[in-house]
Amino acid sequence: MADYGNADVLVVGCGNVLFGDDGFGPAVAERLEQRRDLPSRACVVNAGLGVRDVLFTIAVSERRPKLIVVVDAVDEGRRPGEVMVRDVEEIPEREIGDLSMHLLPTSHLLRELHDACGVAMKVVSVQTHYLPDQVSPGLSDAVKGAVPLACEKILDLLRSRP
Amino acid sequence: MTKRIVIQPVSRIEGHAKVVIQLDDSGNVQDTKVNVVELRGFEKFCLGRPVEEMPRIVTSICGVCPWSHHLASAKANDAVFGVTPPPAGRKLRELCNHIAYTEEHILHFFFLAGPDFVMGPDADYSVRNVIGIAQANPELGKRVVRNRHLGAQMLDIVSGKSIHPVTAVPGGFSKPLTVKERDEVLPMAEEVLEFTKFTMAFAKESIFPKYLDTVKQLGVIQTGFMGTVREDGALELYDGKLRLMKPDGSFEDFAYDRYDEFIAERVEDWSYLKFPYAKSWGEGFSMDADHPKGIYRVNSLARINVADKMATPLAQKEFEEFRAQFGRPAQLTLLYHWARLIELLYNAERMVELLHDPEITSTETRVPVTPRAARGVGCVEAPRGSLIHDYETDANGLITNVNLIVGTTHNNAPINMSVNRAAKAVIKDGKYDQGILNRVEMAIRAYDPCLSCATHYLDGRLAVRVDVLDAEGRVRDTFKN
Repeated sequence: MADYGNADVLVVGCGNVLFGDDGFGPAVAERLEQRRDLPSRACVVNAGLGVRDVLFTIAVSERRPKLIVVVDAVDEGRRPGEVMVRDVEEIPEREIGDLSMHLLPTSHLLRELHDACGVAMKVVSVQTHYLPDQVSPGLSDAVKGAVPLACEKILDLLRSRP
Repeated sequence: MTKRIVIQPVSRIEGHAKVVIQLDDSGNVQDTKVNVVELRGFEKFCLGRPVEEMPRIVTSICGVCPWSHHLASAKANDAVFGVTPPPAGRKLRELCNHIAYTEEHILHFFFLAGPDFVMGPDADYSVRNVIGIAQANPELGKRVVRNRHLGAQMLDIVSGKSIHPVTAVPGGFSKPLTVKERDEVLPMAEEVLEFTKFTMAFAKESIFPKYLDTVKQLGVIQTGFMGTVREDGALELYDGKLRLMKPDGSFEDFAYDRYDEFIAERVEDWSYLKFPYAKSWGEGFSMDADHPKGIYRVNSLARINVADKMATPLAQKEFEEFRAQFGRPAQLTLLYHWARLIELLYNAERMVELLHDPEITSTETRVPVTPRAARGVGCVEAPRGSLIHDYETDANGLITNVNLIVGTTHNNAPINMSVNRAAKAVIKDGKYDQGILNRVEMAIRAYDPCLSCATHYLDGRLAVRVDVLDAEGRVRDTFKN
């Protein structure tokens, strides 16, 4: 697997594993890291709460990935466990500032990376079922069940890139 | 008619906050509030867990300063178990703290607060960000990235893991540093030191003079300060005594495990973040910016103010220049940035100094521990201020009580006061533009707040609430997240 500074494709799992379904991104990253069919030019980063550093660094680096896939949990009132794959410009404005508990600076960077740096961005998100307002680790069954599906969708994205 | 300006989110700080600025009938600022809209509940989650797990668990509180939480927790564990780490264990912890500091301070100056100054507070919002810096000065951007990478690499070598660290354990440090590893890290530390020297010179030549007028006007309040010092009064970040300074510059020193004799925490019904204040001053609590009571600040400016000197030569030189220019205590809020760069230099110098210490490669880095019923307090200076972990355990070493006071919490009242001052200074007769609003945000960013991990779950039941008040202070709307 490529180092994230040298990868053509970067998959970033974001979220806080202590807050229920907010741990979706890290769970997907963990599972993807085990996949042997991951393209060699791709890098998976289980960024957890440290996603800001990764994206900041990419923003000011000379060499950037061609594609960044951000994996996170959202609450849009859909069916719990539903997995969505979207371009960053398709994300509603509200969610750009609200993707995850720790994504406040990061969410702006998503658009800036896309708009100013020419990095293709995809956001793979899951509709949460359980987002506690206090520490309570563990995914809900619905979101846990969505982890393999999200992995397949991400691998499809990676395979479809020339 | 009362008009309300809401700035949300406060971009480029960690976590979620909402600033509400309420204007009166004349379009002038009537009231401001910085609200935190995020809950944690971490302390409750920890109850019943083995105390030795805490240094690993606390790194999940927040991705911004995991090392500070890791080390404060390890120190609280030392106290619970009644042990003292061997010199090499202590020095390795200290080394990691300094490396993490350099990463954080570089990040804050160039990425979070820097854009305001490098690009100018009135620059278009679309370029007043880290990418704007990189495009305006690509060589600088490259150096920033390289030096932050060096920090991460050093932490990987010294501790095995830069994010979510695990190597500080009760009784010391689990991984001795080999001579080979030390020889690998030392040149990196020296390169970072060179960059910190450049950064200070760059800021003093190109940044600070240009915005000195802004520094003198924005968010200025008069408060006391708190930070950690060594026995000889030098600024200290890993271990020392706390010094609480009044606005007039007089101070008292105390061991950090006595913090609750000097500090109390107040709850306001409009914020989930507590408001610590200096109860030992005996004057109560008031955030009235004209007549504050019990208010003290932490973080870089506070540490520079309470310190008598710096322990390293280059930082000492900068310290003397700063003090000669701004006095003691320096009250201008935006001087946090300047103070942060003095600290950056100190951290880099101390990092190199520690790596030259032969004792740091000793294999004796930890001592064994045995569970017992006890209370233990650990305190380090996190980049954002004094970080206190206070644990109690039963005879089996299981947690029975936890209290955390994080840096940003200490600064909760001052942040609110500075925002109030900044808003009043820059919004007149209902006139404002994007540049003016950003100056309000600048007053917050000076404190480098990390509001996400600072938020406490107060009563275990309530959801987050934001109230909107009218000119008479009545609640007009309530929002819940």
